[in-house]
Amino acid sequence: MRGLIIVAVWLAIVLVPGLAAAQDAEALRRELDQLRRQQEQYQKAIEALSERLKRLESQPAAVAPAPPAPAPVAQTPPAPGSSGTPGLLDLARPREPFALYGQRGSGQLLFDMGVVGDFVGNITQRNVDKANAGTFAGRENRFFPREVELSFFGQVDPYARAEVRIESGEDEPGAETGVSLAEANLTLLTLPWGTQLKMGQMRARFGYSNQIHEHDLPWVDRPDALRNFLGEEGLTEKGFEATIVPDLPFYLEALVGVFNGDNDVAFGYGKLSQPLVTARLRTFFELADEHAIQFGVSGASGQTPDRLRSQLAAFDLKYKYRPEGWLHPLLTLGSEGIYSIRRVENDLGEKTTRDRFGWYAYAEVQPWRRWAGGVRYDWSQFPVDPGREWAVEPYVTFWPSEFLRFRLAYKHTERSQREAFSENGGSGRLVDELFFQASFILGAHPAHPF
Amino acid sequence: MTRLARIVLAVIAVAALTGAVDAADKVRVVTTIPDLKSLTEAVGGDLVDVDSLTRGTQNFHEAEVRPSMMLKLRKADLLVENGADLDAWIDVAVQNANNATIVRGGRGRIEISRGVPLLEVPSTRVDRSMGDVHPLGNPHFSLDPGLAPTITQNILDGLLRVAPQHRAAFERNRAAFLARLDEQMGHWTKLMEPVRGAKVVVYHPDFIYFLTRFGLVQLGAVEDRPGIPPSPQHLVNLIRQMKEEGVKAILVEPWNDVKLANRLAEEAGAKAYVMATAVGAVKGADNYLAAIDFNINTLAKALR
Repeated sequence: MRGLIIVAVWLAIVLVPGLAAAQDAEALRRELDQLRRQQEQYQKAIEALSERLKRLESQPAAVAPAPPAPAPVAQTPPAPGSSGTPGLLDLARPREPFALYGQRGSGQLLFDMGVVGDFVGNITQRNVDKANAGTFAGRENRFFPREVELSFFGQVDPYARAEVRIESGEDEPGAETGVSLAEANLTLLTLPWGTQLKMGQMRARFGYSNQIHEHDLPWVDRPDALRNFLGEEGLTEKGFEATIVPDLPFYLEALVGVFNGDNDVAFGYGKLSQPLVTARLRTFFELADEHAIQFGVSGASGQTPDRLRSQLAAFDLKYKYRPEGWLHPLLTLGSEGIYSIRRVENDLGEKTTRDRFGWYAYAEVQPWRRWAGGVRYDWSQFPVDPGREWAVEPYVTFWPSEFLRFRLAYKHTERSQREAFSENGGSGRLVDELFFQASFILGAHPAHPF
Repeated sequence: MTRLARIVLAVIAVAALTGAVDAADKVRVVTTIPDLKSLTEAVGGDLVDVDSLTRGTQNFHEAEVRPSMMLKLRKADLLVENGADLDAWIDVAVQNANNATIVRGGRGRIEISRGVPLLEVPSTRVDRSMGDVHPLGNPHFSLDPGLAPTITQNILDGLLRVAPQHRAAFERNRAAFLARLDEQMGHWTKLMEPVRGAKVVVYHPDFIYFLTRFGLVQLGAVEDRPGIPPSPQHLVNLIRQMKEEGVKAILVEPWNDVKLANRLAEEAGAKAYVMATAVGAVKGADNYLAAIDFNINTLAKALR
């Protein structure tokens, strides 16, 4: 027994340190393995880094490495037709915008806004002033804000665009200026077969210059034919306009409009039950890069407040010559004519038809970027009253910058009769006027089409 | 009358069919500026038919919106625009083109400035007393060859949206183009190395990306404020500064007042150089690489 105890003690003395040593060796081996693995990992990492460095060094220093592919903006939508135009089913499906103002960060407006100021001064004879027979009737010999416009425009969503224009201006002498809604409309942009639908209040696309705002006109005043047949404000209507640009080898835009018919000069019945219907065809040709010509024909048919038929037909033509490398056209020629057929009731209660015509033509030369000069000739009958008038208006325009413009013009008008222009004992048969115009743009303003 | 109407209808039908046949062949791409046309052709190769709405000799800020632009846009599968307010006029052209695919937010619309680190981004309040300032930054980045990988990546993304079946070909084309660009870049860097740090004067601030890329310094601009004609006092100061700093070159765009640049250069003992501010801006700059090559060779000689 004693011997056994001695042997056990001896074994314990001999084996325990051995076991402990064996355990230490095992731990060391594990650590070594771990270190070896780590070393291998480091080696691999170093090799990868060296390889990358070598690759980068082998590239020219100036080339920026291609950035990581931008995050996909959105999923690709269901493939529309082969032409890329969505079909009716595509339109019915909900879709996501791809890049709608993706560049704009937080805190930025998602639409544009701008302010336009247009001030006009005119000096004329005393008898014209008395008769309120000047171009700006009732505001002769005054300097006044003709149009101060606040505009908002931009994309509503991927499918529609909207614009709202609120304007103020002096309609009659005095400190008061009225504020009105000039335009507020929505355009559906993603309809199939190359169509668009615009709805709301808008300047109808009838003829060339009707759709242009006062401050954007190439002259101080709207041509006489437009003012005589469509009134001072032009054809601004509430309703719908649909356009189609067919996929043809040449440009052709066809338009149909349906409106209330609120224009009190040409129409004025103001009900969709007897709507004002408009139509327009516009085409464009380029003769090399230097010459371009646009041609349009328009028509409008509606009813007067007396429920009498009123119809207008119009043509417009614009030509521009821009020499190679020029930033602006050297020569612009344009013309527009309106033919009016209107049923009227005479003093005897008989209904008759009045056929009347008016037109203008102008030429503008812009030899320098900031200076242009031109002349416009007007000839017009009156839609109901007898007689006619003609006028000639030379003008010069100066742009200190793209957003500021001054214009000086002289207008001589002769009318064939004085009866309609002889208020307060004055006379508007022969009119000489000197115009001055100052216009500015603050903020955004969309580019002007041709 | 009926006969005439039939003839007109027949002509329209034939024309429409011709258009449809053309459409089936290639991806129709319209770009706002010619640099993007050249780069899109590099990525798209034979699979795309690319048209630019402007030419290299034009000032892209002030392009006139013509119905002929709308005709091209009407038929486009993809519209590639520069962005950063260089070609903001494109919205008016698109609105009148009646093409649902390329309206803002549509799948056929790609803005190239996405992912481009823009320079000269105003850090203080800006207004138009400073001239035609760009609140988003200088938009003239397209002729910086170092940004071509980003630009072509954006073009590739756009092409893949409208023609995903050609992914392999587009990627192969892009890689081949970037390889050619890399090769050229080594040559250009070597050419520009001796003139690194040289000072130049520009007419309009549209060279900043190019100058920065090749280590040149823009001492000043003929336009006191972008887009505004310079005042005589500014020109006097500029001439004095050019003389003091020994400036050898005024870089001018083909559409700008080259005569004024020449007069200034003469006064300051320098020379004015009409640069390839875009593909097609000068003779020989027929594609992207040729345009950069023209600018590099011009400057390397001018500043030597």
